[in-house]
Amino acid sequence: MPATTMAFADALRAVNALKAEGVIDDYAVAGAMAIVFWAEPVPTFDLDVLVLLPRQEGVLISLDDIYRWAGSRGYAAQEEHVIVEGLPVQFVPAPDALALETISAAAELDYDGVPVRVARPEYLIALYLQPGARTAKRRERAAMLLELPNLNRARLDDILNRYGLSF
Amino acid sequence: MGSRSEEYAAAPPAELLLSLRNGKAALHARHSALPLRDKVRLVIELQRIVLPLIERQRALQWWERPWSIEP
Repeated sequence: MPATTMAFADALRAVNALKAEGVIDDYAVAGAMAIVFWAEPVPTFDLDVLVLLPRQEGVLISLDDIYRWAGSRGYAAQEEHVIVEGLPVQFVPAPDALALETISAAAELDYDGVPVRVARPEYLIALYLQPGARTAKRRERAAMLLELPNLNRARLDDILNRYGLSF
Repeated sequence: MGSRSEEYAAAPPAELLLSLRNGKAALHARHSALPLRDKVRLVIELQRIVLPLIERQRALQWWERPWSIEP
């Protein structure tokens, strides 16, 4: 009997299910895999997903519901990653207003017939330029996105101005 | 051993450098325009290429492995 092969689209379907089942309110693929959607492939080993969690009791944000959901589907969770359909996925609760706006403004793209919400390049650049995120690799990726021919420069300038970010 | 001025004289002509830069830009543009499945296929190829290089510099994280999935 042939082995069942997992596919990238299956991981995206699972992330969509996470939203459809109400475990998260919304999401946007971010990080290097978001770059792959807009620009050329870059090496990466995981899928970063910015998530908007439903309102929770208490002060501390918890990913427990996501881990419970993962367990119910047989996805292994280890440290900060969940293996979703063979893909290491890191679910990152939106930590600030820029991340929340990144999620709400995400583009709905299509991967092999599967809808997927992807952070727009202007927001990816802004995320990379945040003071706590400015590593050499991230600056390089921001510069790469800046050269995209269809980058919305007015949108980028607006985001950078509103969040006090610069190159 | 050649003098400094001879080294400069042997520098590649500006036209060649321009042509190389343009070629590289065209390659980036071609890769950017690939269908998404082909891009994910390339990501998996890149994973196989860079993993040994990363491994020479530091210990790998448990999740840093080439994906065993179809693009």
